[in-house]
Parts: sequence; C-alpha cells; structure tokens
Amino acid sequence: MTWLLLVALPIASALAVLTTTGASRASTILLVTAAMTSVIATVHAALPTEQPWFGGYLHGDATVQLFAPVINVIFTGIAVYVRARVATEPASRRFVFLALGFLAAANLALLSNHLLLMWIGIECTTLAAALMIVRADAPASRLASWRYLLFSSVGLGLVLLGLSCLTRSMELAGQAPTLFLDAMPAAVSGPADPWRELGVALVILGIGTKLGLAPMYSWLPEAYDEAPASVTAMLGAVQFNCALVLLFRIVHIYRPGSGHLITGELLAIGLASVAVSTVSLVATRNFKRLLAYAAINHAGVIAIGLGLGNSASYGLLLYVLSNAFIKAILFLTAGKIEAHYGTKDTRSIAGLIKDLPYSGLFLMVGTFALLGFPPFGSFLGELLILSALVTSGQMFVFATFCTLITISFVATGRTIFPMIWGDAKQARTWPQQRATAALHKLIFLVLLLVLGIYIPPQINSLMTHVAHSLEAP
Amino acid sequence: MNPLLIAFVGVLLVPLFVASWRISLFGLAVQGLLMAWISYQLDPTLDSAAAWVRMVDLVVVRGLGTPLALYAVLRSQRATARHDVISPNLMSWTLAIALVLVAFRFADMLVPGQGNEHSFVAGAATGLLLGLLVLATQTGPFSQMVGALRIENGIAFFELGTTHRPLAMLIAQALIMIATVLLFRWYLRTLPRPTMTKVSAVEGMNL
Repeated sequence: MTWLLLVALPIASALAVLTTTGASRASTILLVTAAMTSVIATVHAALPTEQPWFGGYLHGDATVQLFAPVINVIFTGIAVYVRARVATEPASRRFVFLALGFLAAANLALLSNHLLLMWIGIECTTLAAALMIVRADAPASRLASWRYLLFSSVGLGLVLLGLSCLTRSMELAGQAPTLFLDAMPAAVSGPADPWRELGVALVILGIGTKLGLAPMYSWLPEAYDEAPASVTAMLGAVQFNCALVLLFRIVHIYRPGSGHLITGELLAIGLASVAVSTVSLVATRNFKRLLAYAAINHAGVIAIGLGLGNSASYGLLLYVLSNAFIKAILFLTAGKIEAHYGTKDTRSIAGLIKDLPYSGLFLMVGTFALLGFPPFGSFLGELLILSALVTSGQMFVFATFCTLITISFVATGRTIFPMIWGDAKQARTWPQQRATAALHKLIFLVLLLVLGIYIPPQINSLMTHVAHSLEAP
Repeated sequence: MNPLLIAFVGVLLVPLFVASWRISLFGLAVQGLLMAWISYQLDPTLDSAAAWVRMVDLVVVRGLGTPLALYAVLRSQRATARHDVISPNLMSWTLAIALVLVAFRFADMLVPGQGNEHSFVAGAATGLLLGLLVLATQTGPFSQMVGALRIENGIAFFELGTTHRPLAMLIAQALIMIATVLLFRWYLRTLPRPTMTKVSAVEGMNL
C-alpha cells in the first residue's frame, strides 16, 4: 500500500510548490521528493510482491518492482541536474510543478493494474512534458513541443482504440470485458479473432509512436533536440520505460493467442526503426540529434528483442535497463556541453576531455555503452538478442540488423569521438567542474557497470521473473 | 443504413471540400452533437452517472467547448476566411472519397451484415482515415489540430458502441480531452501563423 506514496508524494510536493514558501525552494522540493520516491521504490523492490489494492486498480508485481526504482532513481539524477543548473538558470515554479506532475503520472502508469489507467498515466506525462519542452528563449522548441503533442495524441488515440477493440473481442467471445491486468489472461484464453488481432496491432502501433518507433518517429529527434536536457532525459529514460511497460503488459497477455502477429509487427517496426535511424545517424552533425537518432535505434533493437521473446527476453531486459541509464548519462551530459559551447554542431566542439573533464569522460564512457562495448549491460543484452535471432531462424533480420548496427556504430563513433579528443577549437572560460556536481551520473555509471558485470541475486530474480512473462509459450 | 450514421459520415466528409476554417470548426461541433444524439438514442434513460459524463463530454466538451475555444483564438487573430484542410485538388478529393469507401469495406469485412455495430465501425474508420489524411497532407498547426480532433471524434464514435467504462475513467478521459484542447488553444495562439494564411493550392499536387 505504501507504493501509493510514489504517486501521492509528488502530487503533494507539486501543490507545495504553488505556495509562496514552496516557490522559493522549488528545486530543493523537487530533489527531496525524487530522493524520497527513489528510496520507497528501492525498498519495495526488496519486499515480496503485493496483491492488487485500491479496488484492484494498483499493484506492485515484479515488473513494477524492477522498473519503479529505475525510473525514480533516474528522476532523482535529473533533479540533481536541475538543482545544479539553478545557479545559472533559476528553475521556475512552473517547471518544477510540471516535473513533479510528470513523476506522479509516470509512477501511476507503472503501478496500474488496469490498462486504461495506465493509458491515463502516460497521457498525463505527455501533457506535462509538452509544456516542459518549450523554452522561452527558443521559438523552435514550441514547434517541437507541438509536434510531440500531436504525435503523442495520435499514438495514444490508437492505443485507446485498440483497447476498445480488445474489449469488443472479449464481449464477442462471451467473456465479461475487462482491462484489469490480473483478470485479462483468463478472459483472452480463447482463440484469436479479428477484433483481437486489430486491437493488438493498433495498441502496438500506438505505443510504438510513444517509443519513437517507425513509422511515426519523426517527432522524437525534434523534441529531444529542442527540449531542455533535463526534459529530454525525462522523455528518454522515464516516459519511454512507462510506455515500454505498457507494451510488456500487452505482449505478456496476448502472446499466447496472437504470437505471430506480435512477432511480425514488432520485428517489422523494429527493423524499420533501426534502418531509418542509421541513415540519419550518418547524416547528422548535431550531437543532440545524434543521441536522439541513437535512441530510435535502441528502441528498434528493443522492439526486435521483444518480438522474438524466448531466449531474447532476458537480454532484452538487460538492454532496456542499461539503455535507461545510458540515455540519462548522455542527455544530461549533452545539456552541459551545449550550455558550455553554445552550439550543438559537432564540428565546432573538440578537446572536451581537457576542457570539461567530467563531461568529456561521461560522454566517452556513455558512448562506449551506447555502442554496446563490454563490460556494459548493453553489450550482453545485444549479444543475447542477436543470438536469439539466429536460434529462431530469423536470418534475414539478423543479417540486416548486423549490417545496420555496424554502420550506426561507425557513424556514431566518427561523430562523437573527435569531440572528446583533439585540441579545443575555441578558448572557453568555465568554472572548474566539481566532482559532486557529477555524482548522479557517476551513480548511473556504477549501476550500468553492475548490470554488465555482476547483477545482485534480488535484481536477477526480478529480471528472470519479468523475462519469463515475456517469453512465447 | 442508419440516417444518423449517414449524417455523421457527411459531416466528416463535406468540410474537407470547403476551404474555410469556420466550416471545419462547425463540422467538429456537429460531429460532437451528432454523437451525443446517437448516444441518447442508445441509452435514453440516462440512468447512470457514467451515461451523464459521456453526454457532457460529447455535448459540452466536443460539441461546443472545443470548436468555440479554437474559434475564439482564430477570430482574435483575424485569420483569413479561406483555409484548406486538405489540398484543393482532384487527387485529394478522390483520395478522401476512396478512404470513405475503404472504411465501409473494412466495416463489411469486420462486421458482416448491417446493424449498430457495423455503423460504429464504419463511422469510426471513416473518421480515423480522414483524420490521418488531413495529418498526412498538412503542415499548418490549425489543420493538424483539426486532423487530430477528427481522429479523437472517430475514436469517441466507436466507443459509443462499447459498454460504459468505470465512472472515474470516463471523468479522467474527459479531463484529458479538456487539457488537450486548452493546449491546442495555447499552441494556436503562440505558434507562427504564416501557414494559416497560406493558400495550399500552390503546395499540393494540382490536376
């Protein structure tokens, strides 16, 4: 029941920020609230799973136990970043209010035991994020925000329509229509019908839009590029995982009856996403856009892994968790670099490792993790997904995937590494970087290494449990 | 075929051929009110809170609030009367009519035979496909808003045929719709306007 604090605390804090006293301490309230929700989520991850409560609408199963600490810890890192930025750009009350609303909605989506409540949570994160993307000094951010909201509205609309089709399918099968996650497996145990197939296809397409998967991915590079770094990290590492958990729920429930459809659709949109992002990675000279295209690329890999199921599932989870920390490290570092150089053009930046040692180091290590180097979890995760492609006989997908990944590997390295090494192109003055200001990214890095080297038994058990739920029967 | 369905499909289709933002908004208003009428026909007793929430959503939010909210902004901006929701050429018009036929064919395949269910599928598919057509062919914020709202209305039309959702969920959905429309209004006020007054005849393919 104390899981409910993950939603209640941010809401209470958001209301506190609206008061005169709270407004002056907005960034502190954000940080303290995020830290508290992180502790609550982490403690709960170690406790036994709980039965649904709050009328059955909320629950704390293994998936919640695995993802709640991740998104709350990442949000805490983002709050640290926002607090550090207060020295140069005061955090507005409006921003902190929306960020806390975003956190409450993200946690609500995660804790939901009802698909429609999950949809409502994700829709609320979208409305909050759309406003946070807008920067007063950047008119282009308004257009990016609008495109984000437009695509999200259409994507989530498709999800809603898909859910309606799924309930219609249950009615036609003589079952009481339900969207409660714990009741759905029994209600959909019969053979698949056209309503169900249509519903599953629409839901996957709609969630794919939120994840930045092809064909409706074009909002992502623009939004990630124009949004403040903290908001980009929220979208890429927090909201992305909430939408992904919704997709996990659908796959878990419908894989037994509609396995071929799920595998086919996810493999197709996954491979298409990897293809379009690879072409864009080769062409771009904007490091924030490059990271955005890399995010689409990774979403594609995740879709492929999820489509395969079976032995890819554990690797997929490893990849997803690593990906969350990688995105948080890279997007927050990109914000620092942009603030320092006043440009996003990779050709204007060099010698980062000397100029901004911590940012240079995190960009370097983050890029290695992004490219799937050992000893990071992304390496093992990608390896397991590739292995599953071979064992499942998907040789065409395997060959295309390997080719595209190699090209994106070279394109990313060719653009990022000259930024890190070499001599600075312009003399810059910048206060000396304090190690404490980079502590949150260091924690993310440690967690990333833990996922690649030694996964504690408790986390491993949760991952195995969740992976099992995603496997094909 | 149900006359209300014919009216609903008509109000989805006709505003596409009239290059006026007022007609586009009027079309959205009539869609909302027609849905309310259909909902009332299906459940005239209105004996549950959920039925009332749905009615308020259809009449107040979709039928009146949304078009009026956008109308007020455009009027204050003195937007020129002409505004194409799809490119004004034979290709786009043919495509729009073809999509209506596709939607009905799709409904025939999914729900063989006539009846309420067939009508809901045909109407929803028409709304969805025409909304996607608008989104795929337009770059201006107002046109895109109209496209997105047409899709929302298509989904709402389909939901008329489903069992009522829990009351709290219906309220939450209506509140989300209101928040989305308020955001649309804000974007319409703050986004650059050139695309609003552009005559899209020169943008699209002309036959």
